[in-house]
Amino acid sequence: MTRPAAMTQARNAQDTRNAQEERRARKGRRARLARGRYGPGLLVPAGLAALLLLLAVAGPWIAPQDPAAGSLDDRLLGLWTPGHPLGTDTQGRDMLSRLVVAVRPSLTGGLLPVAVAAVAGTLLGAVAALAGRITEQALLRTLDVLYAFPGVLLAIAVASLLRPGLTTTVISLSFVLTPAVARVCFTEVQRIRTAEFLEAARVSGAGRAAVVVRQVAPVVAPVVLVYCSSLVGLAIVYAAGLSFLGLGVAPPDPEWGAMLDESRPALLTHPSVAVLPALTILAVSVVFNTLGDALRARAGDSGALLAEAVR
Amino acid sequence: MRRFLLRRLLLAVPTLLGVTVVVFLTVALIPGDPVGALLGPGAPPESRRELTERLGLGEPVPVQYGNWLWHALHLDLGVSISAQRPVTETLLPALGQTLLLTAVAFALVVTGGTALGTLGALRPRGVPGRLSGALNTLAVSAPQYSVALLLIAVFAVWLRWLPAGGTHDVFGGGGPFDLVRHLVLPATAAALVPLGLTARVFRTALGSVLTSDLADSLRARGLSRTAVLRHCVHNASPALLTIGGLQLAYLLEGVVFVETLFAWPGVGRLLYDALTARDLPLVQGGVLLVAVAFVGINILVDAAHALVDPRVRSAR
Repeated sequence: MTRPAAMTQARNAQDTRNAQEERRARKGRRARLARGRYGPGLLVPAGLAALLLLLAVAGPWIAPQDPAAGSLDDRLLGLWTPGHPLGTDTQGRDMLSRLVVAVRPSLTGGLLPVAVAAVAGTLLGAVAALAGRITEQALLRTLDVLYAFPGVLLAIAVASLLRPGLTTTVISLSFVLTPAVARVCFTEVQRIRTAEFLEAARVSGAGRAAVVVRQVAPVVAPVVLVYCSSLVGLAIVYAAGLSFLGLGVAPPDPEWGAMLDESRPALLTHPSVAVLPALTILAVSVVFNTLGDALRARAGDSGALLAEAVR
Repeated sequence: MRRFLLRRLLLAVPTLLGVTVVVFLTVALIPGDPVGALLGPGAPPESRRELTERLGLGEPVPVQYGNWLWHALHLDLGVSISAQRPVTETLLPALGQTLLLTAVAFALVVTGGTALGTLGALRPRGVPGRLSGALNTLAVSAPQYSVALLLIAVFAVWLRWLPAGGTHDVFGGGGPFDLVRHLVLPATAAALVPLGLTARVFRTALGSVLTSDLADSLRARGLSRTAVLRHCVHNASPALLTIGGLQLAYLLEGVVFVETLFAWPGVGRLLYDALTARDLPLVQGGVLLVAVAFVGINILVDAAHALVDPRVRSAR
């Protein structure tokens, strides 16, 4: 009599313990999920990126002074000078205003090529994976050749043909990034090429275009988008690098890379003129890379090594 | 092994050909009128015709490509406009300097990346692990030109510990020690990003080996911690090679910025000067040289890979 009661009690205790553990585990999992979804790891870089985008739109109106106006009397003023909180550059122009106005061209040079590469790369990758063997091989070999160039070198080769400017940055970086996106998309489409749900769609009479739009695209799009988000930081660094080389946005227009190049004569006497844009590019690159990492962590780690392979 | 190498070399031929096609097309597609640019405006038509013929510009593009490739194979890449010397003659001395800088930077990448990655893999939740993780994120995002400028500002201008550029002091000239002093900053600037990436990849690779059955069985046989670690590092080293090869390529493109900022007389610096002077033959020569070096490095990496990992040799 007592034994069953004790056993029931014990079982109940066990049950409650299990249930508790279960509940705790579920709570922990939910907490982890929530952290992964909207935690500071994603929200902070996302917020900063949104702020940067806002600056890109509103920069020219926010900037305290005219970024192009300067007088030789005011040149190379130090930090915290009244009226010029971040000092002035080699031509006496306000550094803060120039850094703020430069957000727009610098971000455009990073974001637009990624957008172009996302579209072009997806199309090329999907065509290579879904077309016949000859088209596939021709496309893949062409992409391999572009892949054989170190990124900056390919950008230089393309950009040296064109007039310096933001358009040149966008065009040449698109050439650099497209093969990478195309590869990711190709692998992804190839993976599902023979999947049963595609077979089912074909058997049920869906046309080729319908299969691509309704069945393939929803599977591939998230992968490609997450991968592209991890390219933005890299593209911003490349874009500023091209301007530094005199191939992108040209002086006197403010752009972080061009500002670096302009600061070189003063580097040894007034390093802050060079350090400010250098730190800005570094910080912006950290923001977008952390954002890309967070998005990738949410989506699973599949693209992690690929993104590093591009660099 | 020999068969593997042979196949790898054969596979590189179409890639190399493709590279030359791309570089040639950038020469051929230069907008504007190269003859007019060389002779200046108002040149008499007969000298124009003569130069067009001499440059082979009247021929169809594939024939032009054939001619150009034939000359390139004989190390004739045309004449640099700004230096008025053959492009090869200008590039080759610079290549030595670039190789020196890249080799030192690469040594930094491999040693630093392995050390940082091992630290992170051994104590992923401890202070060294977290520190190496944070360093990674920063290093991976840092553009080489930013790092170079910050290093110059801190160590050359403010602290005055190290020289800001060049290969030798102008006065009190030379010696290996002087060269090393001049190498520290540019090599660090070039190495930082690849070091971070290498550490990240090696940390993941070593971490998975350390938790594998292999490591458990080694521990069960009573091997010491260092012996287990040694075996595991060996097992994870192919990952190091793959990422190392990619990083070598990254170093090669980074030299354009690093050499420019540190006034290092290498190919990258030459490319920057050529771009500023719009000296297109020199630009194309430099791009071709680096791209070919890149393909060569990839072959070397694959060969090393096959040496370390017997599975690669027999694959496919």
